[in-house]
Amino acid sequence: MLYVELLAQGLVQGSIYALVAVGLTLVYGLLRILHVAHAGLFTLGGYVGVLVTNATGSLLLALLVAMVTVGIVGMAIYRLCYQPILDKPPYVALIASIGLFIAMEEVYRLVFGPYGISFENPPLQDVVQMFGVTLRLGEVATAAGTLLLVGALAVFSGKTRFGTAWRATVTDPDMAESFGIDIIKVRYLNFFIGSAFAASAGVMVALLNNMVEPTMGSVPSYKALAIIVLGGLGDVRGTLLAALALGVIEAFGTIYLGKFLDRDAIAFAFLILVLMVRPQGLFGRA
Amino acid sequence: MSKITNRIAVLAVAGALISGSALADTVKIGMNVPLTGFAAADGKSALLGAELAIEQANAEGGINGTQIELIQYDDLASPKEAVPIANRLISQDEVVVAISGSYSGSTRAAAGVFQSEGVPYVSAYAVHPDITKSGDYVFRTSFVGEVQGRAGAKLIGEMLGKKRVVVITLQNDFGQSLAAGFKEKAADYGIEIVSEYEYSIKDRQFGPIVTKVKADQPDAIYASGYFFTAGPLVNQLRSAGIDVPVIGQEGYDSDKFIEIAGPTSEGVLITTSLDRDSTVAETHDFIQAFEKKAGYNADMVAASGHTAAKVVIEAMRKAGTTDRAAIRDAIAQTNLVASTGTISFNGLGEVKKDVQVQIVKDGAWHHYAVIDDKDLLAPPEE
Repeated sequence: MLYVELLAQGLVQGSIYALVAVGLTLVYGLLRILHVAHAGLFTLGGYVGVLVTNATGSLLLALLVAMVTVGIVGMAIYRLCYQPILDKPPYVALIASIGLFIAMEEVYRLVFGPYGISFENPPLQDVVQMFGVTLRLGEVATAAGTLLLVGALAVFSGKTRFGTAWRATVTDPDMAESFGIDIIKVRYLNFFIGSAFAASAGVMVALLNNMVEPTMGSVPSYKALAIIVLGGLGDVRGTLLAALALGVIEAFGTIYLGKFLDRDAIAFAFLILVLMVRPQGLFGRA
Repeated sequence: MSKITNRIAVLAVAGALISGSALADTVKIGMNVPLTGFAAADGKSALLGAELAIEQANAEGGINGTQIELIQYDDLASPKEAVPIANRLISQDEVVVAISGSYSGSTRAAAGVFQSEGVPYVSAYAVHPDITKSGDYVFRTSFVGEVQGRAGAKLIGEMLGKKRVVVITLQNDFGQSLAAGFKEKAADYGIEIVSEYEYSIKDRQFGPIVTKVKADQPDAIYASGYFFTAGPLVNQLRSAGIDVPVIGQEGYDSDKFIEIAGPTSEGVLITTSLDRDSTVAETHDFIQAFEKKAGYNADMVAASGHTAAKVVIEAMRKAGTTDRAAIRDAIAQTNLVASTGTISFNGLGEVKKDVQVQIVKDGAWHHYAVIDDKDLLAPPEE
């Protein structure tokens, strides 16, 4: 039973990784930018989520507000930070992104204080028993919410005209443009969806920890990079699977290897092992 | 008559100017403290605590009539920032003494610089054993981790009578020295350590550990951490239905812990340096004055910053000079009632004081017990 519980914990953690990493892999797929500041948007999502919940008492409303606001901030980052330097070599955007991320952390500290903030009445704290596994309602909501969002993304990109245009642009931007697709609009949409997903992850982490702090994004900032490499850069399905796999490996690793390796070390040892065998990532094509 | 008074006044002013230029205008105390980065919250408390001590001393006439000035720099709790800061404080600002309001890494790095330049340096709350080993100019007003770990073993094994214990350890010098002290004395109090887990300072989600602890069915949990790790940890342990006592340490010692863990923080016990319900005037007054100055409740770090500043101020008053060797000797002779208790130092510069046990009751920290076993709490001598 312990193993099943650990598996469940791993999948919950993996869901959060997935929501953060999807946005990152979308940006990489479209623009070949490693968008480190994405983790800063994850933190912002947490802050908006807690503040709106405390003000209105509704977690669902807070989730929506967080996703929309952070989505818009994500678009603004594209417009103000990345668009002017798109024709520069990729490391220019990477450095800009790292700088932006550090600045965001310090702005959160100045605006919201160094101590972090918590829910006044933490929602979804009850415990449920399912299939012999004990989970907090917040953890169930995290897994279910991830499934819902990823499902919606799959339907959107597979079944709608805009989704088709999006996939076409990721595959071959020049060709897509010559077919009359507005690739600028696609880029904005890309940043909106990716950032909104990161915001939802931020709200869920806020819920699970009952705390949002300025440096909340520091671990996701590099772990999400590891995940998208594992998943085969730019590959959404691969990223989702890699995120879940990593969550589960960390859950078991924390218990059975925790004495020798901390959580991050386990993640990166796994990354190195995989890359030695499959340099293109777990699910990438050679 | 009026002429004479005028002349006296002129002479007095001239005298003041002469003495002002001969001596310094102020006595300078240096401080390295993290004001940005992950440790900024503790840094803020430590700084406000130190500022309060200096304001109080200046209101009483400073150091024998000379006002005290605090010169602080943000060290981001990083060793590579702390070394240049120590050099700047010594050579550019010419501070007489210095205090650390920072964590172990930066304090340890700065301690070497202050020692080699012969500037007395008092660490407020950094726990690493090597800090005081830098030399005879370095002192510490907080417990080393081992001492507090031993107190934790007595609290669980003897005072609470719990024998099957799970140890959850934060993977840094703080957590590991606590665990070492705890394990050293565990057997003496009949404690059996059922299992042991480690986590990183970046972890906030403890799902796998909580799951395993539940299977272990311990009588008590000894978990090291800071309020920002312990808050989520306690919350997650309780949410999973684990209701055995959780024993923490001074890292929990903040109202933020209670805010994060919410109602699940009730009954959590910690070993620390600040007694909220203290009837000692010094501690009682400090708690009130700090709240007035800071706008939030005092915590262990604030009290430690206040204590460290007070130690150097008292030593300078007693030494009656800005000679650093004389001040060092005066610090070594300290016997002071401070907000963190009655303190003195051993030969290594480690503090000798009682351990306060606090409990969360009705959403606030309260007195639970005092551990004053001198042998158990004896700090390392070398």
